[in-house]
Amino acid sequence: MKQSLRRIGLVARREFMAAVMNKGFVIGLLLMPAIIGLLIAVFPLVSSRNVPAVRGEVAVVDPTGQVAGALRTALTAEAITARRRDSAMRALQNTPAVVRDAATSPTAIARTVGAAPALTILERTASADLQREKQWLTERVAAGGLRHLALIVVQPNAVIASAPAEYGSYELFIPENIDDRLETELYDAIRESLVAARIRAHNLNRNEVEAVMSVRRAASVTVAAGAERQTNVAFNRMLPFVFAGLLVFGVTIGGQTLLTQTVEEKSNRVIEVLLSAVSPIELMAGKILGQMAVSMLVLAIYIGLGLVTLMSFAMLGLLDPLLIVYLIVFFLISYLLFAAVFSAVGAAVNEMREAQSLMTPVMLLLMAPWMFATVIGREPNSAFSVALSFIPPVNTFAMMIRLGSATPPPIWQVLVTMVVGLAAACAVTWFAAKVFKVGLLMHGKAPDMATLMRWAREA
Amino acid sequence: MQPALELRNLRKTFGATVAVEGMDLVVPRGALYGVIGPNGAGKTTCIRMIMSILFPDSGELSVLGRRSALEAKDRIGYLPEERGVYRKMKVGAFLIYMAELKGLAAEDAAARVPRLLQEIGLPGIEGKRCEDLSKGMLQRVQFLAAVIHQPDLLILDEPFSGQDPVSVRVLREHILGEHRRGATVLLSTHVMAHAEEMCQHVVMIHQGRKVLDEAMAGLRRQFDPRIIYFEPLDENATASSLDETATASSLDAHATASGLAANATASSLSAVIGVERVESLDGSYRITLIPGTDPAGMMPRLAAAVAPARIELARLRLEDVFVRIVTEGSRSQAASEALRASVTAGAEGVLA
Repeated sequence: MKQSLRRIGLVARREFMAAVMNKGFVIGLLLMPAIIGLLIAVFPLVSSRNVPAVRGEVAVVDPTGQVAGALRTALTAEAITARRRDSAMRALQNTPAVVRDAATSPTAIARTVGAAPALTILERTASADLQREKQWLTERVAAGGLRHLALIVVQPNAVIASAPAEYGSYELFIPENIDDRLETELYDAIRESLVAARIRAHNLNRNEVEAVMSVRRAASVTVAAGAERQTNVAFNRMLPFVFAGLLVFGVTIGGQTLLTQTVEEKSNRVIEVLLSAVSPIELMAGKILGQMAVSMLVLAIYIGLGLVTLMSFAMLGLLDPLLIVYLIVFFLISYLLFAAVFSAVGAAVNEMREAQSLMTPVMLLLMAPWMFATVIGREPNSAFSVALSFIPPVNTFAMMIRLGSATPPPIWQVLVTMVVGLAAACAVTWFAAKVFKVGLLMHGKAPDMATLMRWAREA
Repeated sequence: MQPALELRNLRKTFGATVAVEGMDLVVPRGALYGVIGPNGAGKTTCIRMIMSILFPDSGELSVLGRRSALEAKDRIGYLPEERGVYRKMKVGAFLIYMAELKGLAAEDAAARVPRLLQEIGLPGIEGKRCEDLSKGMLQRVQFLAAVIHQPDLLILDEPFSGQDPVSVRVLREHILGEHRRGATVLLSTHVMAHAEEMCQHVVMIHQGRKVLDEAMAGLRRQFDPRIIYFEPLDENATASSLDETATASSLDAHATASGLAANATASSLSAVIGVERVESLDGSYRITLIPGTDPAGMMPRLAAAVAPARIELARLRLEDVFVRIVTEGSRSQAASEALRASVTAGAEGVLA
């Protein structure tokens, strides 16, 4: 027994090393997180609404005489920073406390707000020549000089309505190649200045007006029997799919390698050399364990990256750590089931081409959860979803989607899924081991399903 | 002491095909046994059953005193007929892996690898990938994988198949080395000459049944030959082969002359009392004696008739024995020739 375990360990170690010490594996492993990481890192930068720290001059023509001064104040670096902070806080209003706390930490705020632009306001007279001012925008600036960024022309009726409730606005002229985010920044400042001027003109109390206008949007609270918690819509929607995806991915990566390695060993004729040292069952067990370690490594890396990402967005608290435990348990169950099938198919055929026809149904089973994923995700507790979570081999995937959803299933259902899954995995492994044993030394015609059944009976 | 190997009435079928039937065999410890027979005779099936890779339908076997090779795997070295390596694996790593599977500690295996590679004529290739080796080199590496753990029983299925003459010689030396070390060796081959050269004992299998189980020494006595090979000293007498090849007119006279000389030699030899038949071979003669004639007494008489360059008693070859056994009863010339061809193919290697 001890010797047997030792041999299984040796086979597993070789399988693991052969898979991991392979350039293709390393590239494949790193490529996906690299692409995702790149997207995570680059996308916010690209899509950030913060204007990069630009320096330059903004000319203002203000016939009302009440806006330019306020605008000068509104476009100071401090004012811009304050506005950005407010808008960031508004965006976070409906997020859970953990996220809000993390996102409003001084460093997080500093990162969100970014460096404010340094804008110099040049006030022009009300009678300034518009054509000449426009030309000013196109003038070339000497190296090191301040760029001419914009010309703001406040309309005469912008503060005092020309007719009841008929307020003017402003015109904005910019040169070519100006970041459109600067426009938003300018709009925010002009809006601020105009509103302030209008309120002053009407002798209103600004705080009162704002209080009257403001209605906070409520964050929904999910009510479950005996528990209430904040809803996080986007996160909740994605989580089950991420977990089901990891599950399918883990099983596929291990199973596929298992299949190709077994076929290779067989076509290389290395199998009989091995069989003089290990029994077929030891060989199969070792191979399955070795590839399981490979899959676990891949999953660990991906889960780790996911956690780091969540942490960097301060959303770690949203994830129930128990989900990761469930993921691992369900991975082990579904991996065992599929790995046994993959290795049996690998042993039964002579080359990869022949494996295709036998693999099609297996791949369909592996893909089946995706077909039902949306349905299960939308109604995790419907009769259909509950039924699916008890039918192997899709049960583990279905249960994973349900566990990740906003309304997780009762624990007894989770246990039933585990027991059913494990029983199915054992039954399939038993069958696969027989096929594996017979198939290893069979060369020649590719077997069909009936032949495999006969082997299992004979073995 | 229990024999290294004992097979009792083994039977194995594949569907309707009977691969092995009524197989009995006892291989004592320390022996060097050859299992011979043409391709498809059932040698590999027998060996696979001994190795517990296949299981017999009926019958019993014991390997190194155990009921199955599975219980003695670590003490058996096996070189299967269908042998391969992990192509991407390095030679050293492959050998260490195989040794570890056979129960050797990794350090011990690592220590043995360079020495073994040196001994088998492949020094310093530990770091090479298996896919970078030539076929001959790979075969030697595979042999090392079978013996690295110094097995008590070494089973080699067609160890020389597909080998060049140099590799055959190296391998033969190492197999004999393992035998000298004390290992019981059982090797199968369809090339009788290999078994004849190396083995102390041969077992013949034909159509799944054992047809011969004899010590080599006894074999030679049991089938006492009546054949003498004779090569005359006179060059002209040996030119009989020109009879067929010389057609140009300028050669006619010479050809006729040498043809006559050859005929003269043949008739001189035929005239010696005790000779039943003389056949002209390429450059020599094969003389069959009348049954009961003493070959020792015949030799001086033949030498007196025609001056010899070489005169020797024909050693009976295993293939002759084999052909005689399996064609007993059915006297089909074509069948026995086909059989002879199947067991001599590849023998060049051994003569090198």
